[in-house]
Amino acid sequence: MTTTDAPPAGPAGRSTGRRSRRLGARGRAVLLVLPALVLVVTVVGAALGSALLLALGLAPLVGEPALSLDGWREVAPDLGTSIRISLGIAAASTAIAAFVGLCIALAATAAVRRSRLLGTLASLTIPIPHLVGAAAIGLLLADAGFLSRLLGVDPPSWPPLVGGRLWVAVVAEYAWKESAFVALVVIGVLSSRAASYGETAALLGAGRWARLRYVTLPLAAPALGASAAVSFVYTLGSYEVAALLGRPFPEPLPVLAFRLFTSIDLTARSQAAAVAVTTALLGLVVVLLSLRALRRLAAEQ
Amino acid sequence: MSAPRPARRRTSRGGRRAAVATGALALVLTACAAPGSEPTAAPERDWDDVLAEADGQTVRFWMYGGDDQGNAYVDDVLAPAAAELGVTLERVPIADTADALNRVLSERQADVEDGEVDLIWLNGENFATGQQAGAWLCDWTAMLPNMEYVDPDDPLVTTDFGLPVDGCEAPWHKAQFALVYDAARVQDPPDSIAGLLEWIEQHPGRFTYPAPPDFTGSVFIRQVLYEVAGGVDNVPLEFSQEAYAELAPQLFETLEEMEPSLWRNGQTYPQELGELDQLYADGQVDWTMTYGPATLPDLVADGTFPETTRVLLTEEGTIGNASFLAIPSTSGSRAGAMVVANLALSPEQQFAKARPEVWGQYTVLEQDLLPPEWQARFEELPQSEILPPYEELSADADPEVEAEWVTALDEGWRRQVAAG
Repeated sequence: MTTTDAPPAGPAGRSTGRRSRRLGARGRAVLLVLPALVLVVTVVGAALGSALLLALGLAPLVGEPALSLDGWREVAPDLGTSIRISLGIAAASTAIAAFVGLCIALAATAAVRRSRLLGTLASLTIPIPHLVGAAAIGLLLADAGFLSRLLGVDPPSWPPLVGGRLWVAVVAEYAWKESAFVALVVIGVLSSRAASYGETAALLGAGRWARLRYVTLPLAAPALGASAAVSFVYTLGSYEVAALLGRPFPEPLPVLAFRLFTSIDLTARSQAAAVAVTTALLGLVVVLLSLRALRRLAAEQ
Repeated sequence: MSAPRPARRRTSRGGRRAAVATGALALVLTACAAPGSEPTAAPERDWDDVLAEADGQTVRFWMYGGDDQGNAYVDDVLAPAAAELGVTLERVPIADTADALNRVLSERQADVEDGEVDLIWLNGENFATGQQAGAWLCDWTAMLPNMEYVDPDDPLVTTDFGLPVDGCEAPWHKAQFALVYDAARVQDPPDSIAGLLEWIEQHPGRFTYPAPPDFTGSVFIRQVLYEVAGGVDNVPLEFSQEAYAELAPQLFETLEEMEPSLWRNGQTYPQELGELDQLYADGQVDWTMTYGPATLPDLVADGTFPETTRVLLTEEGTIGNASFLAIPSTSGSRAGAMVVANLALSPEQQFAKARPEVWGQYTVLEQDLLPPEWQARFEELPQSEILPPYEELSADADPEVEAEWVTALDEGWRRQVAAG
């Protein structure tokens, strides 16, 4: 009792003082995070909470609430295919976006003066909404679209890029938009640090390839990994592009969820919520996995 | 001595916290309890009484906003007429009628009594869904004076997708499913659905239909269902698992056999009518289809569709239905909404709406019940060479099946035809 009241004196007192200062810092950190935390918890928490209630049959539009897994049971035949399609689209577009984004970032941060222009051009893509991007890709790649007309291919012999089996147009749109995002993030990291490290390595006699392999890529890796994870999760949960450029069957998760949610059958609401909750869980798993991978990467470096 | 007290206080505080949490959970759960599914009935009242109450009310009318002519009609013709009766009509454009229904259902869940939705333009599926949840105000259409011009025995306006209307919605206009073709490219148009199926086989790649649950694609497969069943009389309009098990396999077999002859060999389908219209406008297919053929002259006039666009008349007739105006039970301006529904049924409004340059929607009023001067005016409506007059188009009109059929067929199509 008396020790805390007394002014800090001696080694013991100094250590308590340091601890309380540290607690203060932590408290300040919590306070700083609080506005974002409150927002996330109320908005996302309420939305997820009500989706969960709906999926578990606790908030039906008609009838008595009763806990059940019918939402999942009834949607089970479609859920597997939808998960595969969604993961496939997200993986393909993220892989392309990460590769293209990295290339843009490397080119833009290269010591050539004109390369700045490339970075600027790439970042111009970012403010374009996905919906507009999807419409533009549709106009470009459709059977009677701009590209087929430009190349003089008549519609029936044009490959089914829009609404085809391989979801080419959907992947193309996500890859295009997300590559700009990846590039922007990686450019941010590389432009501040790559040059000095690269110069040091060059002075030590490292060749171009060695500098890329041992300096630039390890520097870019955390940013590349994080932005790829963001882009993957975004693509997994995004509706409009897949709906606009996809095919009616089979459907990716968000399209399935929305179709069920607007179904004229009221009991389909719980299935829609079940799909939405599943999508959210999938996204969460991906985020956790990538966080772990990133942490391991940081530890290695 | 003093030690136990804080401990007890702590437990009691914990207990209180637990009680509060339990209370909150109970509150949440009771709040989640769905409202009853029995419809709200409107008390019978004198029409003058309704008019008096409606004066000064604002009616928010939720309707599909993707039809420019429809929007213009409501804003420029219907709303000013409502204003003369003291009712402010506010049009709320929506992308899908289900949005309005969703809104009403959430409001019912939250026990809202003066909701955002006072009047909805809808039919069939959405009506059935709302009825399932008891979301509509019922027993009010008999009070509307203009219902005297509506034939009480016309199945198109007394049932909506097989579900009795029961005074829960007032008719607004009639619609007729129509197959549309380009006469320049289809030299030998068939004259029946069977003939169309043959034509499709003989002309591979020149036909397709929007994937159900698109509204129009869904009607198309029901039209084929009537054909494979050997006529509409062989399809029980009431849904039963037995009837589905008997008829649906035949339908899906026919549609699957048709696939190789469809656009892109049936490997994919347009996702909605707009995409099919686009294919037709681009000349990639020779056919499109519509539930609102009256909009065709306008599409031809503005150059979207070729000038040689024509509506196919089939021997057996096509599916027809009516669309309606419904008042949600959560509306706080019921009287105003009734006044607008009655106004929309008046010969003046129905005639204005039927004029092709205004909206071109077919009237729900029975010609024989109208005063002679109105009969004459309706007869003088201009005709178009693109589509035959409504009487011809709706001759032998087939009724719609129950909404349950629609869901079952759409789902079956997705699983068998689209997946196959």
